[in-house]
Amino acid sequence: MSPERDFSSRPRSRRARPLDLGLLALGVAAVLLSGHAAVAAWSARARARARVDQTRRETEEAQSRARGLEGRPEPAEALAYRGLLTAEASPPRVLADLTALMPSDVRLDAVTLSYGEPLGVQVDVVARTASSYDLFLDRLQRSPLFASVLPGEENRDGELRTSIQMAYRPPGAR
Amino acid sequence: MDPRSLLEPGLRSPDLAPGSPSCEVYNGRVRASRPRLFVALDAASVSGGAVARSGDGYRFASHARMALPAGALAPSPFAANLARPAEVADALRELARELSVGAAPACLLLPDGVARLALVDVPADVTAQQYARFRIVPGLPYPAGEAVIDVMPLGPGRAVVAAVRRSIVEEYEAAAMRAGITQDRLDLTPLAAIAGLLREPGPRGGLTVDVVLGDAALCLAAHEAGTLRVLRNRRRDPGPDEARRLAEEVERTAVLAGDGAGTRIRVVGPGARGLLTSWRSRGGSAEPGWRSAGPANGVDAAELPWLGGAAG
Repeated sequence: MSPERDFSSRPRSRRARPLDLGLLALGVAAVLLSGHAAVAAWSARARARARVDQTRRETEEAQSRARGLEGRPEPAEALAYRGLLTAEASPPRVLADLTALMPSDVRLDAVTLSYGEPLGVQVDVVARTASSYDLFLDRLQRSPLFASVLPGEENRDGELRTSIQMAYRPPGAR
Repeated sequence: MDPRSLLEPGLRSPDLAPGSPSCEVYNGRVRASRPRLFVALDAASVSGGAVARSGDGYRFASHARMALPAGALAPSPFAANLARPAEVADALRELARELSVGAAPACLLLPDGVARLALVDVPADVTAQQYARFRIVPGLPYPAGEAVIDVMPLGPGRAVVAAVRRSIVEEYEAAAMRAGITQDRLDLTPLAAIAGLLREPGPRGGLTVDVVLGDAALCLAAHEAGTLRVLRNRRRDPGPDEARRLAEEVERTAVLAGDGAGTRIRVVGPGARGLLTSWRSRGGSAEPGWRSAGPANGVDAAELPWLGGAAG
């Protein structure tokens, strides 16, 4: 139904009204915006795929190393040390020692314990502020329970996310 | 203030009385909305102007009227309307010159008597256009393919539909083109008038019957609270007792609409002033459908039914 009657034998195309032009501009803006969003999403997808590939490679390498280690015969001394570690450095104990050093706005996302000589600890840390993270790192480095503290690469986009590798020295093993 | 002080330079001063058979020109300044240009044709004259709707009436930026020689144009729904196209084109050319139209697009208005009009209740599952084809095309005195149809929506499920023969539309378009007038769109004077009158149902409640006069035909529209109840379209039969017969037609229309008493009556179109005078002299009460806003300088707005086109 036409907005204004027109009985012309060949109805003329109407000149665009300000409302028409406004709607056209909105449409063009929406197309541009959606195009930009599509390009950004495509780039994010490519980055995510690259990260997945890298993680997969790292996982495969780790599994390969694990398989190699599992196939190697362990000397008796190492077996004895592992027994000592599991007795004096049980996972709850290590975790308790670790959390005792943590400021209130630092949390652990993951903890990996590698029982060997020494007992390797890797933690994924999330800190609300950089200063809290620095305090946690300082406490770790000063603590006699932890040695060889090696902070990983930090992601300071919003929250601070990083991982730390260290060695745990149970009191009986010192 | 002397209205002549508002005249645009280069345009002729108005010096003719309302209803003068030859020419009326008025150019004022429109202070309210943007004026729109209209060119209307009827059996006795062509008229037009740039008009804007103002708060209390119509404001003329320009207006002119050119009389047509008798018989040059005869509105008809199926026969050729322009018996002497050259004379009609000449009048239109003169009108365009008086209005200083230039290349500005104008809404061309065809006279009452060229279209088949009907008030219809449109079912929910079709458009008014589709229903118009179903309802009025079979009764047209020419092939369906020649019908140009459009509608005047009146709210949900109700519309006035109109059909005009394409060859007749083309006659008027050719005359306008020959006169150098750039056509914007083409409307029907009675529909423009009814649309304008319906936009102002008036301060009172109750039934209103609007009489829209053309030179060759007239429309009677009865409405209440903004709802059009009855629409009638008839040929005019000018004569000494036309006022009496039209009063009876108004009464019939009011009865058809369901209220025969206390009806408000408004009149627009050529002869409106005379009809109102005649009815008042017989004790009737009626009023002009609209008035000029501000200085009209001799232009009687009630005599111009196409002014309703500027109400939208």
